[in-house]
Amino acid sequence: MKEDLLKPFLEVANNPFESLRELKARKKIIGSTLADVPEEIIHAAGLHPFLILGTNELIKVAAALMPDNACSLARSNLELVLAYQRDFFDGFVLSQVCDTTQHLCDIWKRRFQDRYFENFLAPRQVSRPSARRWVAVEMRRLKASLERFTGQEITEEGLRESIKLFNENRRLLAQLYDIKRRAPGILSNREFFDVVKAAFFMDRAEHTKLLKPLLQWAEAEAEGWKAKDSFPAVVAGIVVEPPQIYDIFDEVGANIVADNLPTASRYIYFPASEEGDPIEALAERHVSRPNFSPINDQVERVYTDLIELYRGYGARALFYIHIQYCESQDYDLPDIKRKMREEGIPMLVVETEYQTTHLALMKTRIEAFCEAVLGRV
Amino acid sequence: MNGEKPKSAKELGKILTAEYLEAARTAHEHGKYVAYTTAVSPVEIFVAHDIIPIYPENHSVACITKRLCTELSEAMEREGYTTHLCAYARCDLGYRLVGKSPMGGIPDPDFLLACNAQCFTLTKWFEVLSRKYRVPLFVFDTPQWIKDPEARREIIKYCVEQLRELISQLEEVTGKKFDYDRLREVVRLSDEASRLYRRFLDMASYKPSPITIFDALIHMAITVYLRGTPQAVHYYRVLVDEVQQKADRGEGAVPNERFRLYWENLPIWFKFRDHFNLLASYGAAILTSLYVHAWSYEFDLDKDPLETLAENYVSVFSNVTLEERADMALDLFQRYSLNGMLFFINRSCKAVSFAVHELRDMLTAKTGIPALVFEADMGDPRFYSEAQIRTRIEAYLETLEQRARG
Repeated sequence: MKEDLLKPFLEVANNPFESLRELKARKKIIGSTLADVPEEIIHAAGLHPFLILGTNELIKVAAALMPDNACSLARSNLELVLAYQRDFFDGFVLSQVCDTTQHLCDIWKRRFQDRYFENFLAPRQVSRPSARRWVAVEMRRLKASLERFTGQEITEEGLRESIKLFNENRRLLAQLYDIKRRAPGILSNREFFDVVKAAFFMDRAEHTKLLKPLLQWAEAEAEGWKAKDSFPAVVAGIVVEPPQIYDIFDEVGANIVADNLPTASRYIYFPASEEGDPIEALAERHVSRPNFSPINDQVERVYTDLIELYRGYGARALFYIHIQYCESQDYDLPDIKRKMREEGIPMLVVETEYQTTHLALMKTRIEAFCEAVLGRV
Repeated sequence: MNGEKPKSAKELGKILTAEYLEAARTAHEHGKYVAYTTAVSPVEIFVAHDIIPIYPENHSVACITKRLCTELSEAMEREGYTTHLCAYARCDLGYRLVGKSPMGGIPDPDFLLACNAQCFTLTKWFEVLSRKYRVPLFVFDTPQWIKDPEARREIIKYCVEQLRELISQLEEVTGKKFDYDRLREVVRLSDEASRLYRRFLDMASYKPSPITIFDALIHMAITVYLRGTPQAVHYYRVLVDEVQQKADRGEGAVPNERFRLYWENLPIWFKFRDHFNLLASYGAAILTSLYVHAWSYEFDLDKDPLETLAENYVSVFSNVTLEERADMALDLFQRYSLNGMLFFINRSCKAVSFAVHELRDMLTAKTGIPALVFEADMGDPRFYSEAQIRTRIEAYLETLEQRARG
């Protein structure tokens, strides 16, 4: 039962391009990059928003276009679209949140002169009123740009419908996350986060449709569930790649109960209002989310957000996933480590790279941490 | 200045720098505040509000040229920071740990301003300082200056709104009302100094050129930290007169000038002299780069000062699209009659280095001039391969010689 319910999600999460052939045949696919591109606007334009999350395949092309100390996610995103899935996309909306993503836009645009291309100039500060106004302006520019591309107006009603659809999807994922927390082992970390990942790739209505029976099953199963031996943990970072890292967390008995990932909680929570002007609702959602490393906010939030999650969810460990050459994380990490030591929060930094991560070594490190710090063998 | 007129711009520069640092060190004694800011930022607002701007980047350059970068960097690496970060940031954070400085250090900040048109690194670096000193950080967010007139109008509105937010915060910190008339005067002075600075840079269009980029890199310091003051205007008048006289005498910066080169990126500060000598031995001189032009502002004095500040700072070369950056570089190729180009991929500076491969393709396609691309770090000798880079520069210059022979 569980396997059948999970199967379509896992297929899409782990092999999206093959799995979405049918969707590709009927809808134009617009690739976007992290973080915070308002997918609802792309959806309301009658297009399919697809979040590009890199490739673990060999880097062949991107190495000649970017310095070798460029962020692993940026390199593998460019590699994916240039070397492996060039024809899958009809256009792109790329978010600019740091120097790397800003200049990546320029390189990308030059390489895809035959496709639709738009930048999403996200505000890089969110604690002042100007950011809230700017993001609404920028969302309206994106809306107008997509309208020019499709030749069709995005109506207020249409956009509100998209918001409702995405909100429903978020609500169901939030419920599933809640069951995962309460009933450790009912879904492995890999299974749950693959389900979430599939949402970024597949048709959101289809995802929601598949999610409902999975949720029903999980709710029923959770009644009287005998929790497996595990410990609650928080995962922090931007992306958890390669996804086998979740398998390692499963193997050491970590049950992820909270995270601050743009590829999980930053999507799942914080629904947009379904009332009033929909662009204003999306803009409000944009500035009301927790801290995201590249975007300037109250400077202590780089660790206070994590402490809140750790304490609020009664976690026993914090895993910080550090993407190689992510400059933003590089600057945050020493202060985060210091603060966690002061607070007595056990934290392990897991260094990852899309192409060269050595999973066996990583597993040894995570096991050693669990043994030494948490006393788990 | 003790009523004495200095003999040369060089001497004047030394005096102005000493006075500026002294004023910053004694700011609190005189009821003034110290703010750290990025080299590209609307510093005129600070000057108009009696806040002394300090540029940790400049201090880091001083550390690099005195060969302190590796030692300071290692100190911050021991605190858990990585060598992948900008050498300026590594020097600065290291200096704060070990206290070593070639100029007696810089005062601690009361306020921090990061303008991300220059780069993202400064925002993150200043976040670290904001936590350390528990002082406010204001990020002046400048979205990429994309080529879309409507978007540009909105970007300027967003930037002006932020400058008003900045002014409110400064009024709060200092307890003093902001004087917009004074800002107008400061912008006027900044405009005058910037235009003189540009005239100085443009003297590289003479044949032979009386200056090289190394002169520009030395003399840009004053406009970076004293723009908006009458002293900066005076300094550049003296400098322009000096260089004009040299040009009038037909004096070149290098003997037998044959190759007039473009440089992409920041300089390799600790290799300044070596590069000059190596190139000069081939009759080659690097004349310019977009980097030294980053302070050639042209303020529109008829506009609201906040608007003209926003327009100038958002459109700096590091924040325009690649196409526009290539056009800006091509303009230099034409005006300065350049016939060679060196592309430095700077491990320290992602903002400027990231799209260098693409830029090289664009410029070589449009000019037909071959390019040399090499990777190193602007500050840390651990990432500078002496023999390899020397050989490559020599090989490139020999290629240019062969081309010249036809």
